[in-house]
Amino acid sequence: MAPSSLNVMLKGSSGRSTRGLLRVIILCTIAAAAVSSRLFSVIRFESIIHEFDPWFNFRATKYLIENGFYSFWDWFDDRTWHPLGRVTGGTLYPGLMVTSGVIYHILRLLTIPVDIRNICVLLAPGFSGLTALAMYLLTSEMSTSPSAGLLAAAFMGITPGYISRSVAGSYDNEAIAIFLLVFTFYLWIKAVKNGSIMWGALTALFYGYMVSAWGGYVFITNLIPLHVFVLLCMGRYSNRVYISYTTWYALGTLGSMQIPFVGFLPIRNSDHMSALGVFGLIQLVAFAEFIRTYLPGKEFQKLLTSMILLTVGLGFGGLVLLSVSGVIAPWSGRFYSLWDTGYAKIHIPIIASVSEHQPTAWPAFFFDLNFLIWLFPAGVFMCFQKLKDEHVFVVIYAVLASYFAGVMVRLMLTLTPIVCVAAALALSSILDSFLVASTPSSSSEAKEKPTAEDKSLRSTRKPVVGIYSFFSKSVVVGSVIVYLLLFVAHCTWVTSNAYSSPSVVLASKLPDGSQYIIDDYREAYYWLRQNTPDNAKIMAWWDYGYQIGGMADRPTLVDNNTWNNTHIATVGKAMSSREEVSYPILRQHDVDYVLVVFGGLLGYSGDDLNKFLWMVRIAEGIWPDEVKERDFFTARGEYRVDEEATPAMKNSLMYKMSYHNFQSLFPPGQAMDRVRGTKVPKESPQLNTLEEAFTSENWIVRLYKVKDLDNLGRDHSSAVAFDKGLKRKRATKHKGPRVLRTE
Amino acid sequence: MQVKYKNARLSKSKVTATQDEEKLLSISRSAQCGRLGHPSIQWGPRIISYASFPKLDLTLPHLEFLSILNLGEIVSSSLCAATNLTTPSRLDLPSGFKPPQVFKNTNLVRNTNLEKSYVRETINVVVENVDNQPQNEYYVPFPAEVFDRIAGFEVRDKKAPNKGRFHVDATEAVPTSGNQYFVIHLPEPLEPKSQITLRISYQVLSALSPLPATITQDDKQYLTYSFSAFMPSAYVTDTQKTKLKFPSAIVSDYTTTDGLKSGSDPERMGATYTYGPYDTAKVAPGTEHPITVRYEFTKPVITVNLLERDLEVSHWGGNLATEERYWLRNNASQLANHFSRVKWTYTNFQKAPTSAVRELTYPLVPGSVDPYFIDDIGNVSTSRYRPSVGKKAGHLELKPRYPVFGGWNYSFRIGWNNELSSFLRRAAGVNSDSHILKVPFLEGPKMAEGVQYERVVVRVILPEGAHNVRFETVEGINSNGLPGANSIYARLNSMKTYMDTLGRTTLTLEVDSLTDEARDAMMVVTYDHSMMDALRKPFTIFAGLLTLFIAAWGIGKIDVSIKKR
Repeated sequence: MAPSSLNVMLKGSSGRSTRGLLRVIILCTIAAAAVSSRLFSVIRFESIIHEFDPWFNFRATKYLIENGFYSFWDWFDDRTWHPLGRVTGGTLYPGLMVTSGVIYHILRLLTIPVDIRNICVLLAPGFSGLTALAMYLLTSEMSTSPSAGLLAAAFMGITPGYISRSVAGSYDNEAIAIFLLVFTFYLWIKAVKNGSIMWGALTALFYGYMVSAWGGYVFITNLIPLHVFVLLCMGRYSNRVYISYTTWYALGTLGSMQIPFVGFLPIRNSDHMSALGVFGLIQLVAFAEFIRTYLPGKEFQKLLTSMILLTVGLGFGGLVLLSVSGVIAPWSGRFYSLWDTGYAKIHIPIIASVSEHQPTAWPAFFFDLNFLIWLFPAGVFMCFQKLKDEHVFVVIYAVLASYFAGVMVRLMLTLTPIVCVAAALALSSILDSFLVASTPSSSSEAKEKPTAEDKSLRSTRKPVVGIYSFFSKSVVVGSVIVYLLLFVAHCTWVTSNAYSSPSVVLASKLPDGSQYIIDDYREAYYWLRQNTPDNAKIMAWWDYGYQIGGMADRPTLVDNNTWNNTHIATVGKAMSSREEVSYPILRQHDVDYVLVVFGGLLGYSGDDLNKFLWMVRIAEGIWPDEVKERDFFTARGEYRVDEEATPAMKNSLMYKMSYHNFQSLFPPGQAMDRVRGTKVPKESPQLNTLEEAFTSENWIVRLYKVKDLDNLGRDHSSAVAFDKGLKRKRATKHKGPRVLRTE
Repeated sequence: MQVKYKNARLSKSKVTATQDEEKLLSISRSAQCGRLGHPSIQWGPRIISYASFPKLDLTLPHLEFLSILNLGEIVSSSLCAATNLTTPSRLDLPSGFKPPQVFKNTNLVRNTNLEKSYVRETINVVVENVDNQPQNEYYVPFPAEVFDRIAGFEVRDKKAPNKGRFHVDATEAVPTSGNQYFVIHLPEPLEPKSQITLRISYQVLSALSPLPATITQDDKQYLTYSFSAFMPSAYVTDTQKTKLKFPSAIVSDYTTTDGLKSGSDPERMGATYTYGPYDTAKVAPGTEHPITVRYEFTKPVITVNLLERDLEVSHWGGNLATEERYWLRNNASQLANHFSRVKWTYTNFQKAPTSAVRELTYPLVPGSVDPYFIDDIGNVSTSRYRPSVGKKAGHLELKPRYPVFGGWNYSFRIGWNNELSSFLRRAAGVNSDSHILKVPFLEGPKMAEGVQYERVVVRVILPEGAHNVRFETVEGINSNGLPGANSIYARLNSMKTYMDTLGRTTLTLEVDSLTDEARDAMMVVTYDHSMMDALRKPFTIFAGLLTLFIAAWGIGKIDVSIKKR
């Protein structure tokens, strides 16, 4: 009975619905796995916003829900970039904040009191579940095999390349953008396949959403035209392509222009010109196709060549003219650095200094993608075999994304989806071939044999392909299963160890094995928040700007939105110069407190002294005469902080602030910097214009108060010397006979 | 002139209302509830502005009107079920008012305890009626600037403390003298020539000031306290003395008096100093003789500017959730220089006494679970919880993110859950809907140096549909540290969370000036909550989901295709 009922379940129309139900269940499970594998940090630490940028997004979201959408749109933030301020509403991608704002308001409507912080923390895992579903849809468009989509969804759900940017608490634009990217591509493929305006319009809609969410939308803006362009070059023009592209371009461009930060970029920026160009091209091609139906071949050829020459000439000339006259913005530095990895280091140190802009190391590919990375070429190869329109898309995407991922660590994120698609295609075809239980029947072979033998050569006979041996089946399937299990183990391990640290909170282990939380950042930020005036200006290196804004709620000079290189260089100069130079800078910028991060006591390597050279370099970029990188290296070219350190180093504000009073924690002469592994000079550096205001428990964050001008009009160094040397000086003075003092 | 409020007591009869009364109740409830706005509730770091809370209109004419009707039960259960909820008012006194000289203090002993970071005073006074009429209003004056900082003012008959506290009214300041009075209503008028011994106890907040006001990080802190050797009384006092109890024998400065009494004044015995006894029969009431003492107190002066305390009752969950939000400040000497981590490391290593708040110990009721300690930017990882074992209280050891030195602030939030069954009882009777909730009015950290609260807002969030809400504080033989019920602001609000339709009935109680003497004060809240009220939410959710499904089905049925059929 059981097998027959199973047959009923699996075959025919009820079989179809059973499979559908199974598929839904599997997809839900994958989504749940995707969400739950991102919760390590919530379980280990707490529901907290991670890293740096998310703190700004979080702060902006709070501003949005407190002040409403319109004031968010018009938000001028005078608490950052003091004294310049920032037109925040016009210089951010609002998609992320609006998404969480909408979720928040829906929940409020249902009177479910959820803290906005929890929405922000869990937004990325939630959307990763959706990404897995979108990935299923996209891959199912590429392959007839039902397993490919499910495999791709599972890969996308847990691959570390995507998890790295979407763990709970990593409330960044990428959190929703990857879902939008994948889903937009799915809709695009759907549109190209069906040639339907509706799918094209939907593509444009999600493209608009994507534009509002992430600067990486440019990837879509260029990839879709490239896809169309390649299709045209392959002579695959069809009405489907025309309809879907024109619909997408017209609606999508209009949609993207609604975002103030993007504004007129789609028609003025070089990054967007390919979309416009292909839009023009496809009109011409369509026109040519139309003409061809009416004209005989020869005249058509002539017309076509002249038309192509004319268009190319006109287009190129126009582009040059517009670029020179400045109507079209020249290519941005970030764009150049995509092609020349050395470019940024020479010309724009601020971009090169960002760790996520560094070129990718080879092991990173394996680390982030595990066995997908070697299935990826196989999958791309299989796309070449079929090479329908959608497979062309996969090939182009794969080539472009591989290149970009090699240039910048951060762009590993855009590579991940296509790796998942390609790997799933490859793996599903392996599984489909080797998992089919029945061997090709010999009877069908026998039937074919006589007819074939007579009429044709052996090689042209239709070969009977199949896996006969149960052994080979089991070996292949078994090894695939082993790989899959290893993949899951690897993903879990990477997620748990590499990507789940909030970086605001550090964890370490006590000798007895219990967890010890190092919470110095929040200690210092909360101290600032509670015990300083509401408008006390904090100067810190730009890395900490967003965190200070979010956690300490105090105005900052520079932050992670590095829009003003000069302002950052000013801070760099103040940090790397002598006190006499820095103090006027601090006064001019109304700085009340200076914050430095110092890891010497604990061995926390991400501290400011290790980032110091970037400050010097960025300052040198603006003031080459006043700040010189060479001065901070010893004669032998070493970067030292001990007794041998160069005078420029020892006198710099950063050095002084880092080591101020540090020596008094140790027995004389034994102060050790555990990050740089060197002994620190015996004498504590003398600070004249600043005084220590607060130091966190493990000395990671040190806060200094900028002294006011001296009451007696002295300069600070003599005032401090006077206070210190008061007795000695008097002793030398009072040599003559004592006089009775009369009032 | 005199305002008196019905102070409804708990009794069975009020719980079982008749049919007619029920009807009347529901009408008045619906009428009243329509006016209740719901405060914007945010979960998360927040400051609720209490100014925006609509106040119940519990004005005098209303009450009088009802009492004229003499409906008995209804008086206490009308007004949207707000019964004994009071808005304290202060009596206006005419300009130039002086309490009638109808009493005489035969003997007055004032015990001033300075062991904590606020002043605790207990005055035992023998009062004699010198008028020829029986009198029952005894006035206790305070300067207007001190009056608002008096916490937990309570008066009892010293000979019979178990008779409970006397009814006390507060007055507005008298413009001419600048005095503000507590009016003690003796339960029975005092016959001419007869005597009664009153025990007046209260605490004074922020009466101690550090001197010097700024010290370096490892200096010892000294506090000063100034008072008058003659107790400021409204009446002539025959003899009086003041006993001061210091936290330690180190008293660096104190005023010595001349000619007030024979022998040395004060008399010193260890940490106890006694000023007096003085013979003051000839001294006019209100005469001052200033005395200042300065003593070592190397402990923090913990002041809570505002404490918001929420007690959320969930019948379905069987849970009592408590959340407290503190805005804390240390009023000790401020740091002369800035904070030095090196010095603090050494201080901590030696466990040396300090005027900084290093840790707050917070005993929790046995059975408390899931405690949390967070502030505006997340979990404070430096806390520890020692769960209760058996009947012993659990301990929450709260360590602020940074040591809170003098002049520094620290605001935070803690919360935990309890089994509701150990706090809630259902009134006897088969179909009784009446519930009795007995919960602590104030908990708060238990510190040797004491904690003073400038303002405490307690919200008891009752289940949706709870009505007929009444509350009272539990009195014992000794003072519970709370002021009289008539000086607690009480009102009803409604609050919408977790898919509420009507909003939860919320009893909000506010007290200005309180100390941790009131730590163990309990209060009893009674309310009616029927089965129908409890089933409202499941029905609402069911109906909502049903609507959703029907709508989805209906939309799915609509054919919008433009194909030819």
